[in-house]
Amino acid sequence: MISFVIAAVVMLVSLVPAGIVIARGTLADAVVGFEFITGVAVMVFALLAEGFKRPSLFEFPVLVAVLLFGSGLVYVRALERWL
Amino acid sequence: MIREVLSDVLLTLAAATVIASAIGVLVVRDAYARVHYVTPAAVVAPVLVALAIFVAEGLNENTGETVLALVFMIIAAPFLSHATMRAIRVREVGDWRGPPKDAKAEDTNDDKEQPEDQPSGDAPARRSR
Repeated sequence: MISFVIAAVVMLVSLVPAGIVIARGTLADAVVGFEFITGVAVMVFALLAEGFKRPSLFEFPVLVAVLLFGSGLVYVRALERWL
Repeated sequence: MIREVLSDVLLTLAAATVIASAIGVLVVRDAYARVHYVTPAAVVAPVLVALAIFVAEGLNENTGETVLALVFMIIAAPFLSHATMRAIRVREVGDWRGPPKDAKAEDTNDDKEQPEDQPSGDAPARRSR
């Protein structure tokens, strides 16, 4: 089960390039970087729940997937109209 | 034993997909291209992760919840990508269908003659929505 934790850590490291894009890119680049991070975050939560054998934590990725999709649409709408 | 090996292979593929996507997001030149590199991380890698958990755990409630979250991601990612592309285009051009026809006509007229009291046409006019 350590392999799930290692995969989660590798995916967390892969968030660094997206963070650089968010910090240094344009506003549109930042929204795309945010979408990348949201997608990876759901997988990281699922991998950590499996890696640490916490069945109750498997509900968290479901909630995060739904909520981050909504927040992504909100950001995109704000990018289109107001930002 | 074979389950662990297969699970590790799937996890390695998922991590490699995410790393490659992250590098792509970093190095490409504009937001339109970056959106394309979000898709593998949001569609391919979740499938591999769900398969890895399925192989390791078998069919139980944990696998079901993981599959639920990741199927939702797979369904939502194309919608979000499309909305992002549309928003970027609206932000740049003023409308997702392109610049207004009258603006195009003004642009062609601007090449011939540029009156002082009219805008140059560099700034895209936003259509009312």
